[in-house]
Amino acid sequence: MFNSKNFLFFIAVFIETIFNANGDLFNEELFIKPLPPAHLYTYFQFTTLVNDNLSSEHTYLAPRSLVEVLTRFQVDELHFTLTEGQWRHNHWGYPVLDAAPGAELYAWFSSDVENVDTQWKKLSSTLAGLFCASLNFIEDFNTITPQMALQPTGAIPQNPNITSQLRYASLPREIVCTENLTPWKKLLPCESSRGLSALLNSRMIHNTNYHSIGVHTRKVCSSSDCSVVSLEIKQTVALVYDSKIIRTTDWSFTKLFGQGLPGGCPLASSSKVYVDITTNDTQPFLLSPEPEKVLLSQRGGSETKLALYTIKPENKMTTIGAKYISKKDLVLMKLPPLYFNRYVLGYGKEFGGIVTELTNTFWSSIDVVVLQNAPWWLPIQLSSLRINGEASSEMVLARHYSPGRSRQKPYHLELLLRLPPKSATKITIDFEFVFLKWQEYPPDANHGFYVGSAIITANLPTARNYTSLPGTASLFESSINASKPWYPAVFRTNGVMVSLPTPDFSMPYNVICLACTVVALAFGPLHNICTKELVLKVVGSSVTLKQKIINLFKKKKE
Amino acid sequence: MGAVVKYVIAGLVRYWLIHTDFWHTLSNRVEIATPLNSWKRLIEGVYLYDQNINPYEGDAFHESPIVLVIFHYLLKHVPYSLPFIFSAMDLLTAYLLYKTSRGFVRIFLNCQEKYLSDVSQESKDMVMTESQLKETSEYVLSVYLFNPYSILNCVGMTTTVLQNMLLAAALCGAAHGYVIISCAFLAFATHQALYPVLLIVPTAMILAEVNKGCNKCSYIKTLLAFVLSWSFVVYISAFIMDGSYNYVYNTYGFILTVPDLKPNIGLFWYFFTEMFEHFRLLFVCAFQINALILYIVPLTLRFKKEPILLVTVLLALSTVFRSYPCVGDVGFYMAFIPMWKHLFTFMQQKFIVACAFIITSALGPTVWHLWIYSGSANANFFFGVTLSFATAQIFLITDLLFAYIKREYTLKNGSSRTIDGKPAKLVLR
Repeated sequence: MFNSKNFLFFIAVFIETIFNANGDLFNEELFIKPLPPAHLYTYFQFTTLVNDNLSSEHTYLAPRSLVEVLTRFQVDELHFTLTEGQWRHNHWGYPVLDAAPGAELYAWFSSDVENVDTQWKKLSSTLAGLFCASLNFIEDFNTITPQMALQPTGAIPQNPNITSQLRYASLPREIVCTENLTPWKKLLPCESSRGLSALLNSRMIHNTNYHSIGVHTRKVCSSSDCSVVSLEIKQTVALVYDSKIIRTTDWSFTKLFGQGLPGGCPLASSSKVYVDITTNDTQPFLLSPEPEKVLLSQRGGSETKLALYTIKPENKMTTIGAKYISKKDLVLMKLPPLYFNRYVLGYGKEFGGIVTELTNTFWSSIDVVVLQNAPWWLPIQLSSLRINGEASSEMVLARHYSPGRSRQKPYHLELLLRLPPKSATKITIDFEFVFLKWQEYPPDANHGFYVGSAIITANLPTARNYTSLPGTASLFESSINASKPWYPAVFRTNGVMVSLPTPDFSMPYNVICLACTVVALAFGPLHNICTKELVLKVVGSSVTLKQKIINLFKKKKE
Repeated sequence: MGAVVKYVIAGLVRYWLIHTDFWHTLSNRVEIATPLNSWKRLIEGVYLYDQNINPYEGDAFHESPIVLVIFHYLLKHVPYSLPFIFSAMDLLTAYLLYKTSRGFVRIFLNCQEKYLSDVSQESKDMVMTESQLKETSEYVLSVYLFNPYSILNCVGMTTTVLQNMLLAAALCGAAHGYVIISCAFLAFATHQALYPVLLIVPTAMILAEVNKGCNKCSYIKTLLAFVLSWSFVVYISAFIMDGSYNYVYNTYGFILTVPDLKPNIGLFWYFFTEMFEHFRLLFVCAFQINALILYIVPLTLRFKKEPILLVTVLLALSTVFRSYPCVGDVGFYMAFIPMWKHLFTFMQQKFIVACAFIITSALGPTVWHLWIYSGSANANFFFGVTLSFATAQIFLITDLLFAYIKREYTLKNGSSRTIDGKPAKLVLR
């Protein structure tokens, strides 16, 4: 038994060396951060770097099904997330990668692609099949082309109209389930048999407050002058556990994922687990086993302590856990430099408004791009746009508006704002409720309609609460001590829900009959008036029933 | 003097109501503002145009580019005088209607004289005298000035106020024999709302009647003037939109295909909400034919002697059957009803129609509130009310026409309703 295991391991190492010789690099990382007082953030990142020339015919560690899609549709950069729950920026700080509730997909197509819209339609339908998600519902009427909010993160040749190659769509109603996780796991080189992905037990991860799975592909420079680019495929899972759900603030792999870690993936160049122990100062806890190393990261004026574990493929079943020594009830929260909120105004089902509140807690001004994306059934009126109640505000540096069209195109508004230091900004825009055709309502029409979240892009001047990777980096370890003048971030606000007025679904026939009757009420008399003449007829000459029947036959004979 | 007092009171009522807090509610009422004419959409369209965004690219604005440019100018330069402008436009409409009815009375008297030989001895006292007819003009004026429907329309500051003014000007021109003026205004009105195109037939007949001479030449002249002025406004609109005719999809296209199903007082909204997608095109065509083409030929042939009746009936029918009707349209054709005061004795459903108008006008806002704000009623309630409102209007139209043919019959054959001493009644055969 032992021998055979050893033999298998030997083969695995052998295969690994072959693959590495071919240049594909696979790294797996897990980042755990307690979010006091009661939450725990775990972030998995599986990065595959395809150094070889890309061909859809053959791949080494990269999933062929995905690479084939990317080459077929000439996609330069692709971001796809499936999310359930709401990331609470003002309580939890910032995630490594933010995602909109439901399904979100955006992609930059190569500049050779002329008909971007048809390619986009094909891409979303193919991905729908690949991930078992309802991405086939992406149509023209829920697709937009953001002008300022989204920028490619990878190496894309300079192109002044790069935005024309971009398409963005979100499906806020999409429900994320096991059926999405299984095909996602199949894209990994070790699938879920070995490595960190073995922890992704669907029974446990759907038990969280927030979970988001994602696939991000981009081109990264593989030479110093960027003449050669290679493909990077990053698969991510973000989970936020609630200590109330797992019933304790102490955590361990077995509690979180239902099992321990069976060792790293043999195909991976490295398998690392980072635990953010910065909060250890205020809420002391003990990690078990002891970390290999404690890294101190100084980034943009904030200090982070990370405990590092390296997982070897030959490792036995390990479980990492934390036990809190003493529990302090009061936790002082450091607010992130920028947070936001979004809600719907108004009562009744006739007129309403959407409010987006942005709060800048930093001492200098922050430039943000706010992208509001209203579906066609929520017509927003640009003339009602108010920023802090003013129609024309000096905070607006640039604006882009593309009006929607019913059943064809969504409403799309982008604002470049300069948020003053230590300020709260309220963006209000009015909308009118639309009355849909009865077959356009989704099942359970009175449940309400989801409106996708707004995208907020900011260049943060400080790295407080910031965990994202630097733009050019692929691995989590490169975020250690990565001080930069700006920390770019793309956030999603919470989505909102509106309840559209509904018709009575049970009576189409009655309505058709009644309306046609009223038309006939006009047609009949008008027809009579136009075609017949008035004559006098004797009244009172009673006709017996027998006579009537006889008359009927007589008329027929005539 | 009395007339001046009327104008002043009506004007003050309108001006005051625009400045009350009710204005906001009124201008958003579904009965008053439709997607086609609402003040809110006009503001949005003008704002987009001002920001160099094509208002016809989106779904916000459906008025004609000419109206867009006019209101862009007004909102830019004299935004505070708009309540005054709207009230003045409505008063001008009333004045034009008064002038129109004066002209119509003259035409009516001429017609009556022409067919005086057909009137039976017994019915000679039914022939209208000039003084009797003259006072109808006063009624027309009062009805337009104090009809709650027209007041609400003006207070809501809808573009139907402009539409009504154009129509009144066109009819006034026709009643006084000005071909060009009449056709130009009618073309502009048609450009704005499409359905006034129906009125070209009675207008041509009235113009031929007023300008004595070759009838056929007059018809051709009118038609030519109309087509030319219509093409001109269409061209001018395209010129405003930098040579693009795409606005047509948002104006005529919007009226014809009914994409917005927001409730109004018409028949279209719930019908097409509940329609099966497969049959939508068929029924859109059927309903638009019903509103635009169906009745024009038979009614023209039947009432060729009475172009004024034709004007009234076509206005009313197009209001009932148009895709986005509002109370402003109802108020406009109602102003013509007093012209037919002499038919009231022959009308059978006056009471029912009057009750239906009052009840539906009160119930409509009530059930709307219950449906949209309280959530305790549903769409069927409001649909029922609009259906009865349409039925009431249809009863009014058909009753008016029946009354007319009964009067016609009575004039010809006397008022006795007996055959050989036996009691008889009038029936259609």
